[in-house]
Amino acid sequence: MKKLSILFALGAAASLSCNKLVEQPNSIITNSQFYKTQSDAIAAVNAVYSTLNSDPAGDFPMYGRNLNLLTGNGSDDQIFSQSNTNPDVRALGTATYVPANDRIKKNWQQHYFGISRANVAIDNIPNIAFDTTSRSRLVREAKFIRALLYFNVVRFWGDAPLILHDPASIDVDALKVKRSLKDSVYAQIIADLTDATNLPKTYGAWDKGRATSGAAHALLAKVYVNRKEWDKALAELNTVINGGYGYDLFPNYKDAFQKATKNGIEHIFSVQFETALGAKNSTQNLSTGNFGSFNPSVYPGDLPADSTLYLMYSTDDTRRDVTFFTSQYNAATGQTVDFGAPRLAKFIDYSLSLLTNQSQSGINFPVIRYADILLLQAEVLNELNGGPTAEAYTAINRVRARAHVPDLTTGLSQADFRDSVFVERRKEFIQEGMRWFDLSRRGGTYLYDALKKFPAKTGAAVKDTLFPIPQAEIDLNPLLSQNPGW
Amino acid sequence: MKKHLLLWVWLIVLSPVVIYAQSVKPTINSTLSGKVIDDKTKAALPGAVVHIKGTTHEVVTDENGEFDFITGQKLPYTLAISYVGYKSGEFIAHKNYVEVSLHATTNQLDEVVIVGYGTQRKSDITGSVGTVSKNLLNQPAASFDNLLQGAVPGVAVTQSSSQPGSTATIRVRGGNSISFGNDPLYVIDGFIIYNNNSYANTGASNGVGVNALSTISPSDIESIEILKDASATAIYGSRGANGVVIITTRRGKKSGTEINYSTYFGTQKIKKKLGLLNASQWASLVNDINVSDNKPIIFSDSAIAALGVGSDWQSAAVKDASIQNHELSFSGGDDKSRFLISGNYYNQGGNVVNTGFKRYSARINYERNISERFKIATNVFGSQSVEDKLFGNAYNSINFQSTSFSNLLQLSPVPKIYNEDGTYNTSSPYTATPTNLLQDITKTTNRSYLTRVLANASLEYKIIKDITLKVTSGADLLNTKQNYYSPSFAGSPAGSSTGYSTQGYASVGTANVTTWINENTLTYDHVFQSKHFVNVLAGYTTQHQKDETAVASAQKFPNDLTTFNNLNFASTPVLSTSDARESSINSFLARVNYSYLHRYNVTLSARADGSSRLGANNKWGYFPSIGLSWNASQEDFFSNIKGTFSNLKVRLSAGRTGNSEVPPYSSWAALTPTNYYFSSTLVTGIAPVQIANPNLKWETTTQYNAGADVGFFNNRVNVSFDAYYKKTSDLLLNVPFPLYSGYASSLQNVGSVENKGIEFSISSDNIRSRDLTWKSTLVFAANRNKILSLGKGTEYYFPIAPTGYVSPVIVKVGLPVGTFWGYNTDGLLTAEDVSKGTPVLAGVPQQQGDRKYIDTNGDGVVNTADKHNLGSAQPKFTFGFSNSVNYKNFDLSFFFQGSYGNKIFNFLQQKLELPTLSLNASSTLLDRWSLSNPNGKVPRATNAPVSQVTDRYIEDGSYLKLKNISLGYSFSKGLIEKIHAKQLRLYVSAQNLVTLTKYTGYDPEVNFFDTDNTKQGIDYGAYPSTKTFLAGLNITF
Repeated sequence: MKKLSILFALGAAASLSCNKLVEQPNSIITNSQFYKTQSDAIAAVNAVYSTLNSDPAGDFPMYGRNLNLLTGNGSDDQIFSQSNTNPDVRALGTATYVPANDRIKKNWQQHYFGISRANVAIDNIPNIAFDTTSRSRLVREAKFIRALLYFNVVRFWGDAPLILHDPASIDVDALKVKRSLKDSVYAQIIADLTDATNLPKTYGAWDKGRATSGAAHALLAKVYVNRKEWDKALAELNTVINGGYGYDLFPNYKDAFQKATKNGIEHIFSVQFETALGAKNSTQNLSTGNFGSFNPSVYPGDLPADSTLYLMYSTDDTRRDVTFFTSQYNAATGQTVDFGAPRLAKFIDYSLSLLTNQSQSGINFPVIRYADILLLQAEVLNELNGGPTAEAYTAINRVRARAHVPDLTTGLSQADFRDSVFVERRKEFIQEGMRWFDLSRRGGTYLYDALKKFPAKTGAAVKDTLFPIPQAEIDLNPLLSQNPGW
Repeated sequence: MKKHLLLWVWLIVLSPVVIYAQSVKPTINSTLSGKVIDDKTKAALPGAVVHIKGTTHEVVTDENGEFDFITGQKLPYTLAISYVGYKSGEFIAHKNYVEVSLHATTNQLDEVVIVGYGTQRKSDITGSVGTVSKNLLNQPAASFDNLLQGAVPGVAVTQSSSQPGSTATIRVRGGNSISFGNDPLYVIDGFIIYNNNSYANTGASNGVGVNALSTISPSDIESIEILKDASATAIYGSRGANGVVIITTRRGKKSGTEINYSTYFGTQKIKKKLGLLNASQWASLVNDINVSDNKPIIFSDSAIAALGVGSDWQSAAVKDASIQNHELSFSGGDDKSRFLISGNYYNQGGNVVNTGFKRYSARINYERNISERFKIATNVFGSQSVEDKLFGNAYNSINFQSTSFSNLLQLSPVPKIYNEDGTYNTSSPYTATPTNLLQDITKTTNRSYLTRVLANASLEYKIIKDITLKVTSGADLLNTKQNYYSPSFAGSPAGSSTGYSTQGYASVGTANVTTWINENTLTYDHVFQSKHFVNVLAGYTTQHQKDETAVASAQKFPNDLTTFNNLNFASTPVLSTSDARESSINSFLARVNYSYLHRYNVTLSARADGSSRLGANNKWGYFPSIGLSWNASQEDFFSNIKGTFSNLKVRLSAGRTGNSEVPPYSSWAALTPTNYYFSSTLVTGIAPVQIANPNLKWETTTQYNAGADVGFFNNRVNVSFDAYYKKTSDLLLNVPFPLYSGYASSLQNVGSVENKGIEFSISSDNIRSRDLTWKSTLVFAANRNKILSLGKGTEYYFPIAPTGYVSPVIVKVGLPVGTFWGYNTDGLLTAEDVSKGTPVLAGVPQQQGDRKYIDTNGDGVVNTADKHNLGSAQPKFTFGFSNSVNYKNFDLSFFFQGSYGNKIFNFLQQKLELPTLSLNASSTLLDRWSLSNPNGKVPRATNAPVSQVTDRYIEDGSYLKLKNISLGYSFSKGLIEKIHAKQLRLYVSAQNLVTLTKYTGYDPEVNFFDTDNTKQGIDYGAYPSTKTFLAGLNITF
């Protein structure tokens, strides 16, 4: 009996050596463990880039899907597709969206999510000890992305919360801020981009796709154009064109949207996508948005507003058949299927079989192409000189010539030339996240006038020149004001 | 006396009380007669129930206290005799006349009830404890959670789907938490298990979740008690807030060795098919859509006629399925040891092709009294479950694709299913790829193996006379292996794991969850002056859990031969994933039970819990409770009315319990990996995903309970009534953040939720005669749930909706958790509506014959501001009604169960009513509006009209089911003695034979989102429900 008692006592004592309640995280990294080394800094900046092609909650990515819902469906380029199950997506296509629209909220969230990760990188990397050249480069890359995202934000919503640091606490009250004036947001964008112009011109073999000095100048040019600061815009454009960056147009328009030619001479900055290998393939919706099935009654994710879009191209224009398809060859049946009406084709990855899942498309999303720079140069010269200069004609005609379109009629007035540039931009950049920005930046009722030409855009109104601040944000933070008319 | 009582307490701790006479040589007799008398007065006891143990034989004594009946049993056998007001006794009959004397007790509620960390006399209980009746435990079921349905008031069980082995949502007195941990705590033979089905779902396979509780064989279960109020559950402190389900498995008895074999076989049939269009009906719908789009029609009248009914995909995918169960057990014991060894095989086929559930399990329970003061016991249980399930959405994924079965329902009926030669037809103009979904369902491997070993051992040592030390240690090992292979010809599921697009996609995953527990308790038990009954418990427990998962996948296989078995055959790797998490809970617990003459009772309990998952500043929580009860019927003044009013007990309790079921590492400033590409090469990014909250603490539930137990007519009718109020505060809530902060939310302790309700149960012996007995029990519960606060500044939020859809539910202050939120509709737009400019849904061109949405707020437009409360998935009340009737050798039992007032979002029906040019639609569309059918109830045919959440698809989910009906016959002795059997019973039964409901989907018991509290009652397309017919046999040697 005594032995047993001892055994018991031992057993009880052993078990009393309790488990520790202090967590030793083994499958996550905590804040205090990180931001210590150069590779931490690199990973922090990679995470900033990844906000461009992914969503924290597994939703569709910003570039490649959600951004296009505002810039494509929200413009006169596209309407909704029958495959859009979300009524809020359809509302964007008919200009009947309201402040509670969940896709507007999603865009807002995705932009600020990227901004937040950039803030974290910009705040933490300078405290890590490693060689200053690499360190400054990484911070500038993060600044470039932050500027890119704020530039979208300020164009979509106007005045906006200007957040430059990670929240210090979980107190919601401490997070409540007012919208900063558009000019202050622009000031931050310009400051970030100006610093980013010190980025390298090119990268080594393993870093293609990172932000470059050329990209910073190009984005700065676009910022100045939006602010109608034509002199400054021209200076930046000239730097991009003549600064020794080696940018040029691809001889074939199609190469701008091919996997084999990604990050080529025309690509100034692109969001990177790949086929398979990673977590991105299932959320990459560039091309499933365009080609879903050989059954003409199965609709893809996006549809052109109507056939006028297709018809505005001359038959010689090589851009037409890159941008649209009306039939596809079905390798499984050996038949060519006629789809009746034109559908969008730009982001179909023809290196993958059409029958296999196009959600594995590895085509990059071009954010800034050299063609954009040339057309901006034509536009800016026209604005600066009270009419088109010869150089302005040269610029626009380079873009037209590449598409096998004859030169633009000479002797156009300033207004006519301006309109011609915008038509050219529309033809060049369908589905590239440009159209709504181009319409809204012309100001006044220009966007409204363009939308109301389409009977489907029943809800078009002048207030559409800015998107509404998401209702949920105003509910959480009454300090946020709503845009006029909403 | 003291000594006596102590011995008594001691015995109940050890094993059920059994009284034995000396053993005698077996003799055979087929009749038994006798008399039941009071042991002191020798007065006859009329109405006593005499039951032959191990059989269903039962008689009741007549007015002279006498009984006789034909038993067909071999002597000796044990009789169990019960009589109200007397201590139930067991008696071994060894001749054909017996006289049994029963001892009158001062208290008729002498039974012992299992409570947390021990047992308690029913009379002394102060809290609310429900017991699942034996009758219901005998129902055939894949998993024991199915047995809880309608068994105890206040316990609501909803199957996620009818797929064999699928999960269930169990709520005791409503859900306390919005975000985490609403499931009850399970205590299996003293081992604490918090069931988390995500542990059994690695992510390698897809489809609905696997139920980790299905690893436990229901036939091993001896009893289930459910602790509901704070007085009962606070001893489980931190994890007691959602109720505690105490499961005790069968053990051996002292009466020599017994061999029992039970089996049943049966068939399952689909209860219902959904009405869909046939080929010619669908073709004319397609024509109508084209007309509405101003496009030429595709099918000529003669082509439509030629199509006929076409393909019925629904019927092609379902079949009758078999179900069988075998259970063999050996049990027995002597004065010192008791044992039970059992083995079980359960096989339930699925009614949809290539689905099913199998389980193999074995158990050893052993206990031995090594000396008078020292006892050891062990329970060891092992099982493997194999589940083949439908593929579809990933488990708990937001990026849901519908289940493969609901996609199948939507296939156009025009293409053939099979070619002339019997192969699958893969040529269809209506599908994206040359594939056949029925072939995909048949040939895709989507299998889960769940292996569970649950073992514990306990030592009990009586240190001194009144003090017992108990040490228990145990381990629960749950290992899940999942295999998935989508062959190269399989065109679904949509997304990255489709064989067709990847040329074969294989995935294997494992999840290992290891939990170990150690509990040490000291019990002091003493009776002072034969009046004051004191029981004191103090203890320390510690529990540690580690879960590890790993998934490896690959694609592009040269052929479909090796499938998931060898990923090396694949030429394209897919990123592998793994995860590991650990957590611990340490606790101190104490309880004092005091009873004065079993008349006035007090229970005080307290537990201090420390959880590793909570913030550094708030690891510990303290959970006290108090319970009072008064057996009023023991008072002298009561004796006057005792004839009709035989028992009255009043109970009151209050206490606090907690919940910390957040995932490990929730309080840290955590960083997660992300991916990007440079130069076409994958790079890793690391970024913050949550903000630190070192103050993260316990969610606490304060509960008040008042109850009464009333007995009438010598306790032939017993009524139990409880009313409760629960308030859960410091909710573990993902507080919405302004999105410009870069974070969607932060896990904090804010907000509160209340649940209040009433419960009652009535059980009665309706008929108690010599040949015929009829007992029935009715349970009823009503719970009201309401969100009181979501923290400052937050009035509502929408849970994350599946990508491509808006959330059909809202979480809003003042409403129940998970309230449906959408538009009201009022039939269709009439010509008059159009002409007078009735507001129509913004953004959608509408005309006569389209859905008429209501401008609820009267602002002249219909937009999201017009959405409002469309009801919730939480029922207004639930009930169960069970009956057992015995007539001579026959026994009949039937069990009704139901729910009233719960709503279901029938998303599948909505999908089927939104016609497109490529997918099939509901047969309700036959009554679509058209110029020729101006009174049609369904909108005119248009191409893929907008999908809005409307009241049309928020359906009434009330139901009444005849869950189980069974008829048995127990053979008389003479017939079975030749095979040396003690008892033989044959029975037939049917389950889910009748369902009364207005719900138009397959079954009103549906939860697409599993146990997610905010998304209950959503039917995104479930497995079709079944009814089962069984025949079984039960034999004991």
